[in-house]
Amino acid sequence: MEIKDLSDNTGEWLRGTGKESDIVISSRIRLARNIAGYPFLSRANLKQRREIESLLRKTIIERKIAQDISYVNLNQATAIDKLFLVERHLISKEHAEGEGERGVAFGKSETVSLMINEEDHLRIQVIRSGFEIKSTWDTIDEIDNILGESLNFAFSSRFGFLTACPTNVGTGMRVSVMLHLPALGMTKHIEKVFNAVGKLGLVVRGLYGEGTKVSGDLYQISNQFALGKSEKEILSIIESVIPRITSYERMARKALVMESKDQLEDRIWRSYGMLKAARMITSEEILQLLSQVRMGVNIGLIDDIEMQTLNELFVLTLPAHLQKLQGCELDSTQRNVIRASYVRKRLDGL
Amino acid sequence: MKCESCNKKLATVHLTEIIENEKKERHFCEDCAQNVTNHFPKAPSPSDILTSLINQVSPEIREMSKTTCPVCGISYLEFRSQGRLGCPMDYNVFKKGLLPLIERMHGSSQHVGKVPANAGAEIVQKNEMIQLRKELNEAVERENYEKAAELRDKIYELSGNVEDGD
Repeated sequence: MEIKDLSDNTGEWLRGTGKESDIVISSRIRLARNIAGYPFLSRANLKQRREIESLLRKTIIERKIAQDISYVNLNQATAIDKLFLVERHLISKEHAEGEGERGVAFGKSETVSLMINEEDHLRIQVIRSGFEIKSTWDTIDEIDNILGESLNFAFSSRFGFLTACPTNVGTGMRVSVMLHLPALGMTKHIEKVFNAVGKLGLVVRGLYGEGTKVSGDLYQISNQFALGKSEKEILSIIESVIPRITSYERMARKALVMESKDQLEDRIWRSYGMLKAARMITSEEILQLLSQVRMGVNIGLIDDIEMQTLNELFVLTLPAHLQKLQGCELDSTQRNVIRASYVRKRLDGL
Repeated sequence: MKCESCNKKLATVHLTEIIENEKKERHFCEDCAQNVTNHFPKAPSPSDILTSLINQVSPEIREMSKTTCPVCGISYLEFRSQGRLGCPMDYNVFKKGLLPLIERMHGSSQHVGKVPANAGAEIVQKNEMIQLRKELNEAVERENYEKAAELRDKIYELSGNVEDGD
C-alpha cells in the first residue's frame, strides 16, 4: 500500500468512540523491546542494523501481527511521507529524523504500529479511541507474547526488559492517555491537575509526546516509572486517575456554563464562524478553533457536527496531510489557504 | 614587562609582598613564579575542576570512570554523557553505577512485571516469587494479616522449587 492511499481517511483511534470519548481522545500503550545478542542501536554497525531490521520485519509479517499489514522503509521515504506518519502518530518524531536502516509496520486500522530501529530495536504501539486502557493492553500484551515466542528479547530478572535508555528499563511500557481539557485550561485549574498527577508518578506531555508543547488544549498523561511496578499496577494507577481528571473537566465546563454563559457561547460560536468562513488559517490557530468547537459540541451547544469529523480535522489539517491531499509541496501561505478551504468543505458536509 | 628572575619571558604573575610594613611589587613569568614561591598554587585545569564537581554530584562516576564494556566498547563516561547504553550487557558491567541512577529514576531497581514469552520456567518462577514478596510487604504495611499469611504460604510453597536470591 502507498502512503497516499491513507491521506483521505484516518486511523480508527480518531473515531470518537469508546468510553469518555467526549474528553478522552485516545488511549495508547507502547512497549520497548531489544533483541538479545545485538548491541543497542547507538553501538550497532551497519550490518547489525540491517540484520535487526530484516529479522524484525520478517517476524512481524510472518506472524501476522496486524490485519493487512503495511511496511514503510523510512530510510527511503521522503521528508513529507515521514512527517505524514508522525502526524498520524504511527511513528515518533525521533524515528522520522533518525538515520539508517529503519522502518514501521502498521495494520490497516492504524491501531497497531511497530517501529523498527527507533531508539530501541522494537517499539510496539497500540492506540485506541476513547478511554480504553484494558482492551489496549490486551492487544499489545498478545502481540508482545507472539513476538516473544519467535524472538529472544534482552531481559534480566533484576532489571526486566533491557532498553537503550535506563528510563524505559523494566516493563519498557509507557501508557499515554490523550485528553481534551479546554475548560480546565480556560479556568487555569490545569496547573492543579499537573501538580496532583506529578505526585502519583505520572507526567503531562504535549500532543506529540516528550518535549512537545501543548496546543489545542490537548494533553497526554503518561507514567513516568517503568520499573518496580508491574504492568497491571501501572495501568491501574492510570485507570484510577483519568476519571478524576475527566470529572474535574466536566465540573469546570458546568461552572463556565453557569457563571459566564454569554462569554463562553460567544467564544464557541465565533470559533465555529471562523472555521466556516475564514480564507486562511494557520496550523496554530486551527487547533484553538477546533478545541473551542469540540467543547461546543460536548456541552450541547452545537449539534450539526460529528465528533469524528472534529477529531479527524485535528490530524487532516496538519501540514504533511494537506500536502498529500493536494499532491504537491506547499509553502506555509499556500497551506493556510488550503487548510481553510478544506475545513469549509468538511463542515459544509461536501 | 619582562620577568625579573629569568629576564626572558613576559611577566604575567604580579605579586605584592609586604615585609616589615614595606610594600614591594614583584613580577615573574609563570614558570619562575612557581619556583620563587612554593605556596603559589598552579591553576587547576578545566578537567580537574570538572572531575571535582562530578565527584561531588555523582560519586559513582569516579568509581566507574575507568569501566568499559568488553562487549560493545562503550565506557561509563560515554554512557553518562549520551544517556544511552551501548548493549544489554552494560546493565551488568555498569551495575554499580546504574543502580543508584535507576533507583532515582524509578524509585525501585527490581523488575516485577512481565517476563518474555519464551523465558524458561526458572525465570518465570523467580519473577513470580519477587511479585509475591512485594505483595506480602504491601499486605503487612496495610496490616492485612490474613492476606499476608496466605502470601507467605505461597512463598514457602514456591521456595521449595526455586533457587533463592537476587
